[in-house]
Amino acid sequence: MFHRLLIANRGEVATRVARACRSLGISPIGVASEADIGAAWTLEMDEVVCIGPGAPSDSYLQGKRILQAAKQTRSTAIHPGWGFLAENAGFAALCRSHGVTFVGPAPELMARMGLKSPAKAAMRAAGLPVIPGSDGPLADAEDAARVAEQVGFPVILKADAGGGGRGMRLCHNISDVRDAFSLCASEALSNFGSASVYLEKYLTGGRHIEVQVLVDNYGNAVHLGERECSVQRRHQKLTEESPSPALTPKEREQLGALAAAASVRVGYTGAGTIEFLRASPNESVGAGELYFMEMNTRLQVEHPVSEMVTGIDLAAWQIRIAAGEPLDFRQSDIRFRGHAVEARINAEDPTQNFRPAPGTLSKFSFDLNAGPGKLRLDTHLKQGETVPPHYDSLLGKLIAWGETRDEAIETLLAGLASARVEGLPTTISLHQSVLQSAAFQSGEYDTSSIPGWPPVAAKR
Amino acid sequence: MTNIIEFKVTRDGERTLLSVPEVGLFTRALPAGALLSPGQHAGYLLQLGLGRALVVPAGVTGRIVTERPEKVHLPIGYGDVVYELEPIEAGDGRAPQESPDEAQSDDGLVLRAPHTGRFWHRPSPDEPAFCKVGDTLSPGAAVGLIEIMKTFTQIGYTPTGSLPSNAKVIKMLAGDGDDVTEGAPLIEVEPA
Repeated sequence: MFHRLLIANRGEVATRVARACRSLGISPIGVASEADIGAAWTLEMDEVVCIGPGAPSDSYLQGKRILQAAKQTRSTAIHPGWGFLAENAGFAALCRSHGVTFVGPAPELMARMGLKSPAKAAMRAAGLPVIPGSDGPLADAEDAARVAEQVGFPVILKADAGGGGRGMRLCHNISDVRDAFSLCASEALSNFGSASVYLEKYLTGGRHIEVQVLVDNYGNAVHLGERECSVQRRHQKLTEESPSPALTPKEREQLGALAAAASVRVGYTGAGTIEFLRASPNESVGAGELYFMEMNTRLQVEHPVSEMVTGIDLAAWQIRIAAGEPLDFRQSDIRFRGHAVEARINAEDPTQNFRPAPGTLSKFSFDLNAGPGKLRLDTHLKQGETVPPHYDSLLGKLIAWGETRDEAIETLLAGLASARVEGLPTTISLHQSVLQSAAFQSGEYDTSSIPGWPPVAAKR
Repeated sequence: MTNIIEFKVTRDGERTLLSVPEVGLFTRALPAGALLSPGQHAGYLLQLGLGRALVVPAGVTGRIVTERPEKVHLPIGYGDVVYELEPIEAGDGRAPQESPDEAQSDDGLVLRAPHTGRFWHRPSPDEPAFCKVGDTLSPGAAVGLIEIMKTFTQIGYTPTGSLPSNAKVIKMLAGDGDDVTEGAPLIEVEPA
């Protein structure tokens, strides 16, 4: 096992990884930008190295400085957390070449999963259903038109190296495809450095369901069930739960087994997530089918809901696997118990179109004994602290567990009601509306709209 | 990437603080009492096995107050202060001869010797010169060797002071094999 591990991240992420380190007897070493020096979360580290000014490009994305910080603090592993360098294959390769263990899969695999069509091809070969579309990048507009005719309209053109909702073009007919192709290719080139474009059938609505896997270096893989992340705003997840109210126990078992087997087949190691789209029941073709979307080669923000229903510490296992330990349990040893729901509490103003609002937290407290079930708060902030403007707006995540879904929702509502957060606007009122909505409580919701939002009263 | 890093300068009353805007191992620090002037190399920073000279920026002179670190390789973080300088008194006999901008001379823009020794134009007698009149120098480009006590140090083009980032060689001021002292003019340049 590692003695010292450097956490190449900040805030709530760094806090979570540091906790996993402590549970394994590892000394957590931190890096911080000048804007973060002295923040409460940095005090949880045994040592902190300043790596640059506040802007992420000058600090948390400076791979060479971070790796050097690991070397000079005698850290033998780097945990990238999520965000920043977590999916940067070049950084993972640099760590490897300097003899530092990168907590994550091999850089080659990260690179393949980072490009959409190679990832899709690899997962199709590994046995996962994929959204009908082109086999890899398209040659030209005529090629695109031919594939579009085959899969049926509407179709979407996507940049191979794209992400964040950019570099995409929706096409309703053949002339749309011919018009959009070269535009999409040149946009892809200027935004992502590659003109590769592929095409797939466009599915509206549907549900975002993702499977958590753990794979050790000896070909043992397990899944920890799925998470339902269909409550989204501009592709940002807001409320997540496990298990998904949309899957039957049989579907859950099949999907989980398929995801675990596919992860081994593509050579994955560590903690990873395979994201699926469950097509809307209103689709003309493939209604209700589960399709592979992408694989996230890292731990995810919403991992606690899986931890709450399985009792398995994902962050700690990720580190143990990176240190070469084999999984000491099998799929049949995992017991899924109860239900968990998570609310991401952001410093955003729901009445001002979710504008992020940095500032000082004059009050910040929650009653974690509220409600019939259990509550867990993952945060890096303390009352009186200032939220800097350089980074994302997450203040913390409140996670509720109950024996049943209703009990989990009730517990989360009680936890949110107990919140005393002042000095900043937050998304707490949004979560309360979502959790109290009939659509969420019945489990009948999808990615096309936020259940219960905007609240009825606000529509007056 | 250049093979030099300029110190970041902050003032604290009369004193000048030099910090390093990088993460790495600080080595070959100069001792307390040494005088610093613009363009001077005052130690090196090792990052992932590569060394980069730490250079005193334009307009900075002073005498080092800080004791030399005990560690040969001192780990430092971004912005850590490595030298505290006190002003050099007027008429102080030990003050460096250079004006605040050493790159400017009567003859125009000049690259100077970072230390004393014998200046060589070529890597070995039967190889071509590192640079010749008319060549364009970019930061870090090799311009010659300085030999001192049988040790050869490659001299890189270092655009400090008013030296342009890319320079054209106008004249070789020091001949091949000439003995030079620290600060002696080596090459006259103009902006490329």
